[in-house]
Amino acid sequence: MAGGVAVLDYDNDGCMDVFFTNGAALPSLRKTGPEFSNRLFHNNCNMTFTDVTEAAGVAGKGYSMAVATGDFDNDGLTDIFVAGVNENILYRNLGKGRFADITAKAGVAGVDPKSGKPWSVSAGWFDYDNDGWLDLFVANYVVWDPTKETRCGTTEQQYYCHPDAYQGLPSQLFHNNRDGTFTDVSITSGIARHIGKAMGVAFADMDGDGLTDIFVANDSVRNFLFHNEGGGKFREIGLEAGAALRDDGKAIAGMGVDFRDFNNDGLPDLIVSGMINDSFLLFRNRGGKGGFEDYGQSSGLRMATRQLTGWGLGMYDFDNDGWKDLFFGLAHFAELGHYIGRDSALPNRVFRNVDGGRFEDVSSGAGPGFELPAQHRGVAFADFDNDGRLDAVVSVLNGPAKLFHNITANDAHWLALKLHGKRSNRQGLGVTVRIVLPDGRSLYNQATTSVGYASSSEPLVRFGLGVNRTAQRIEIRWPGGVTQQLTDVIADRTVEVTEEAQP
Amino acid sequence: MRIRLLVVLLMASLCDAAAQVSPAQAAYQKANALFVAQKFQECLNELDIALRLDPKLVPALTLKAKLAMTIYRFDVARESLERALAADPTSFYAQFLYGLEAYLTNDLELALPRFEKARQLNPADPRAALYLGMTRESLGQPADALKLYEEAMRLEQSAGAPQADTFLIGSRLLLMMGRTDDAKVWIDRALKLEPNSRAAHFELARYLEEKGDSVKAAVEGEAALRLPGGDPTDVQIHYLLVRAYRESERPADVARHAEAIRAIGDPKPK
Repeated sequence: MAGGVAVLDYDNDGCMDVFFTNGAALPSLRKTGPEFSNRLFHNNCNMTFTDVTEAAGVAGKGYSMAVATGDFDNDGLTDIFVAGVNENILYRNLGKGRFADITAKAGVAGVDPKSGKPWSVSAGWFDYDNDGWLDLFVANYVVWDPTKETRCGTTEQQYYCHPDAYQGLPSQLFHNNRDGTFTDVSITSGIARHIGKAMGVAFADMDGDGLTDIFVANDSVRNFLFHNEGGGKFREIGLEAGAALRDDGKAIAGMGVDFRDFNNDGLPDLIVSGMINDSFLLFRNRGGKGGFEDYGQSSGLRMATRQLTGWGLGMYDFDNDGWKDLFFGLAHFAELGHYIGRDSALPNRVFRNVDGGRFEDVSSGAGPGFELPAQHRGVAFADFDNDGRLDAVVSVLNGPAKLFHNITANDAHWLALKLHGKRSNRQGLGVTVRIVLPDGRSLYNQATTSVGYASSSEPLVRFGLGVNRTAQRIEIRWPGGVTQQLTDVIADRTVEVTEEAQP
Repeated sequence: MRIRLLVVLLMASLCDAAAQVSPAQAAYQKANALFVAQKFQECLNELDIALRLDPKLVPALTLKAKLAMTIYRFDVARESLERALAADPTSFYAQFLYGLEAYLTNDLELALPRFEKARQLNPADPRAALYLGMTRESLGQPADALKLYEEAMRLEQSAGAPQADTFLIGSRLLLMMGRTDDAKVWIDRALKLEPNSRAAHFELARYLEEKGDSVKAAVEGEAALRLPGGDPTDVQIHYLLVRAYRESERPADVARHAEAIRAIGDPKPK
């Protein structure tokens, strides 16, 4: 699997940098050479990048899978958490391009005294108790020992076994103690009560109660939706909410997830990628007791994605028309190529959101480079050249990564909000934003870096404004409940927003 | 669904076992009876005898292939079927099983020509059309799949043996394609053929849910749950009932069915 990728502005120069995770030798799970190093690339602010891994001290150890970025110590510098098969690493950003491995001191190695280190596939930062400090969720997959790995199939055709052959794992939640250390609250929070096979994690306040909820995409078992009950407790309500399974009651091989509002009704929805013949899941949030409805068929995604195998993904407004579109990083499992009679490498796909009701595949017009197949995995999203059009960086197994520069030609306007929390966490993760346009439309988005599969995207909150040159009103709700408004904001720029003091 | 169809298929082959007199055929007939009685090891022993006496005995080779597929030894099945087809290239049943072997191992591209050839060998047999349709559906060719399902239905009707499962396979695809009302026609046909089919009641419940009639969907779902069978699973039906009762604003029933799913499927933390 592997293939996590993150974008972060680690040196605060206003240009988004890129971090890739990398694997290790098997079965030792050790990074025995530079070919296994994780990599940090500095954005030279001209769409070229410089490898600064060594200077930054982030080459890593063990078999790395995922990366999650967030400013956990509120010092204004974005930190990096790397989750892996046998090692987790928390890098504190020291400034001046240097990072320090503080995993042990911070208490986020994730090693269980009895069962050892669980295989972690994704992770994410969010502030579950609204205390202004980012907490850490680590999504764990299955029990696996490379030295005892059994193979499935026939004597002629051997391959990795189906996830059913492996025992699942609970995920982990670490509370930020505000002093550079964390407390494992997996059991007391209720998270550890649920055994899954987690591949992706995303956060949103699904019901507007001011508390951030968690969605976990599981592989071949039902998904989890952890409702934040407050007081440090979560209740798993995926079944009751209708977001646990496909509408025929079957689990898909859930991989990446994004938890955002595709129809601008103010309620975050869910998109989950899966495997060939699964169809990807689109759950529309109906609010209140309505829960989620499987919107795959209505949106056109069910049949359109049935022949795809998806990993990373993101729900962003790539053409700035005011409706969030979909980007999928795709590839079948390499071992399946023979069976489905075609190359397991796939080109990625982009689906345009048509008025919040359906999605149409516009990949064929996305450029010749876009149509090249590969073993795509993680995807992270950012505006690398600050032109207001969101770009994507995609990791590729056993191949060079791809940076897709968004060159959509239209006159659509845009706004980005760069948040500065005061009482809230410094990056404003968990902030929800509503924009009211002069044409009367309302648009919604939120601040999160936890997007897709094993990956981490920019923390800015972006909006496409279509033909509107201004936002009539911007309503910002901070995780602690503070709300503030901006009026008549001119478009086509990044607006710095600092949290106002509570009245 | 695949498992159920396979069982139907295997049982149906019993009629192939006509009264024969040669020692090899006698051993084969005994093996066939043992297979039906699910005495697989004894069946294999008799098959070995039969094939020692006549290595080209096609019914014995196809039975050995069926036995091998039942215990997931697809490599053995493939080898037996290749021997059978070498002995008799016109054997529809060996050719059909050859396609099935590829289909069940998810080798869809390989299954296609095998099923196509089986159709050529016996155009009147609905099984090749049905499985060819399922293969095409899995390969992302829904329109072609629907035509083949219709063909399978027609052939089954002509043979005087329409199958509820065939209608349900078709109706599922139609539901997925958003052709809800067309799906209902085939679900009704399935229910008429098998009024106590768990799968048919479940599909009717899904149709009703799609049409927004959550009360009737819940009634059909509860009916499906009371019926025996493992396809659809209890989890699938409970999940439908969770949604139907949520729409009907019956939270206690929502909780009851959600808990039932957790009780069935959730591993317990250490």
